[in-house]
Amino acid sequence: MKPWITRVRAVRTTVIAPVLAGAALLVAAAARAPHARTGSITGIVDVAGTVSMSGTVVAPTAIDMSGDAYCQRVNSGRQVLERSVVADGQGRLADVVIYVKEGAPRAAAPSAQDSVLLDQQNCMYTPNAVAVRTNQALVIRNSDETLHNVHVKPSRNREFNIGQPLRGTRSRRTFGTPEVGIAVVCDIHGWMHASIAVFDHPWFAITRENGTFTIADLPPGDYVLEAWHATLGTRQQRVTVTAAASAQVSFTFAAR
Amino acid sequence: MKRMRRLSHGLVLGLLGAVLPAEGARAQAPARAQDSASRAGAVAQDTSGRALYGAGCASCHGVDGAGGGRGGVAFTIPVPDFTDCSFSSREPDADWIAVVHEGGPVRGFDATMPAFAEAFTPEQMQQILDYIRTMCPDASWPRGELNLPRALFTEKAYPEDEAVTTLSAALEGPGRVVNEMLYEKRFGSRNQIEIAVPFGVAELSAGAGWEAGLGDVAIGFKRAVWHSFRSGSIFALGGEVVVPTGRESAGLGSGTWVFEPYASFGQIVAGSGFLQLQGAFEVPADSDKGEKEALWRGVVGWTFAQDRGFGRTWTPMVELLGSRDLEEGATVAWDLAPQIQISLNTRQHVLVNLGVRLPLTDTDLRSSTFVFYLLWDWFDGGLFAGW
Repeated sequence: MKPWITRVRAVRTTVIAPVLAGAALLVAAAARAPHARTGSITGIVDVAGTVSMSGTVVAPTAIDMSGDAYCQRVNSGRQVLERSVVADGQGRLADVVIYVKEGAPRAAAPSAQDSVLLDQQNCMYTPNAVAVRTNQALVIRNSDETLHNVHVKPSRNREFNIGQPLRGTRSRRTFGTPEVGIAVVCDIHGWMHASIAVFDHPWFAITRENGTFTIADLPPGDYVLEAWHATLGTRQQRVTVTAAASAQVSFTFAAR
Repeated sequence: MKRMRRLSHGLVLGLLGAVLPAEGARAQAPARAQDSASRAGAVAQDTSGRALYGAGCASCHGVDGAGGGRGGVAFTIPVPDFTDCSFSSREPDADWIAVVHEGGPVRGFDATMPAFAEAFTPEQMQQILDYIRTMCPDASWPRGELNLPRALFTEKAYPEDEAVTTLSAALEGPGRVVNEMLYEKRFGSRNQIEIAVPFGVAELSAGAGWEAGLGDVAIGFKRAVWHSFRSGSIFALGGEVVVPTGRESAGLGSGTWVFEPYASFGQIVAGSGFLQLQGAFEVPADSDKGEKEALWRGVVGWTFAQDRGFGRTWTPMVELLGSRDLEEGATVAWDLAPQIQISLNTRQHVLVNLGVRLPLTDTDLRSSTFVFYLLWDWFDGGLFAGW
């Protein structure tokens, strides 16, 4: 069973938690050795922070999977909640894409890249949001014993729709053009939504379950960072990164 | 319309099966399918066509193939009814497999139909299709594979729902341009009626001025009396009645009713090739207005498809046309008509054919003619759909 199913119980919080955000950031920074990984480049730092939402977090509704006997069976005995907004008790948002929108230095394409996995498990996407670099492989897998179709609807890349009828069916796809917010839907299971973001640089992250993120190894400079959420929209901030210390950034979305 | 197009490798199995019973290949298919599936990491325990249909198709198309018995799918566009023979018999396996392999857009259909290229092997797709073919319970409907490409002159045996506008223009001698509008409507599993309305402009003789107007309208009926998917053959009998609507004095009409019974035969040859034959008599009601005539036509051709067999089709073909008045001492007139048919749009239901009719005999009396048609298979969608 996936952790998100039990995690999302948050109701009614109006608190943005900059203190917690800062604490999480310090923990994140302390847990890593930020400047030591790439010996030839000096001065690069991590940009870390937290994404939250203000206002009333509406309790997500339970998904009705009765249209598919398999989906209903594998989720029997638990309530699967709709995932358009995934926030914890303090309004901290998961599945937010944070990335350098302006000012990204020219980045060489890495020689070898791990693929990124978008799985379909228990009739839900796992994870909800994925990000890849241009021409990096996205592996789309069906771990269910029911037919899923993966209908990917970009505006700048090419639309495709693949049928994955069997457990273990997998497809590799790449995207040639940077694009944020590519919608992924299953036309069979209307509750299944995910998003793909494609970047031509490596400076991006997706918020974790507790709303935190870390963009690693950003060279000093002035940047515009954008936070993108599938249903809450976007937020931007200017950030100046110096070699002296890790930068800290927090974003706040307004509940809809 | 056209049809018969080759798909690469194993995808052509169904077509080959029409002429060359491929029992050996079929018997091996499940084993290969399992190999491929396990390579991909997929788990397919029952690889029968029915089970594969259940796994890959039934969620949207219904367990029964009619779109019923499916759960609460998230899309609202209608799905086709596989149990409706009128729908499910008329396209060849190659078109179905193209859509299964590449998804709906490969034939200009909705993108909600996904691509299964990575999920099923070509052999599995064929098994699924063989199962879908069992959903039409009436074997009297000739299979779409037998719908051979339409030649410029030779009448095909397959009953059609299409509109064709044909333009012919004399390339030498007195000017002559004829346009014919043809409408064909299929009814039942084997029958077709048609009406052809020609109109044209002609120079009666060099320098004598031009005449323009309606020609002789023809009404026809055709029935595919025998067909065999296994042998790749189809045979039809038909007839036309030509009504003297054209002004005889202007050379636009014959001035008499003419009856034209005919027989047509089509044969798939080696997968993507074909042979079509037609024999006919023309019998004028008023023997003063014209001679009885026998005519025979034959066409051979081959279809090539771009983009791994999924794309535009090119069908070069050549017709041999012969005719002879049924009176003593008459000679046979022979013509040759090389031509090429090309599908224009993604749906492949709008096609053109370009060719020339070259007299082989009486070349001093008969001129070469350029002939062109634009064909719209209106059953497959609007003229501007599926581009």
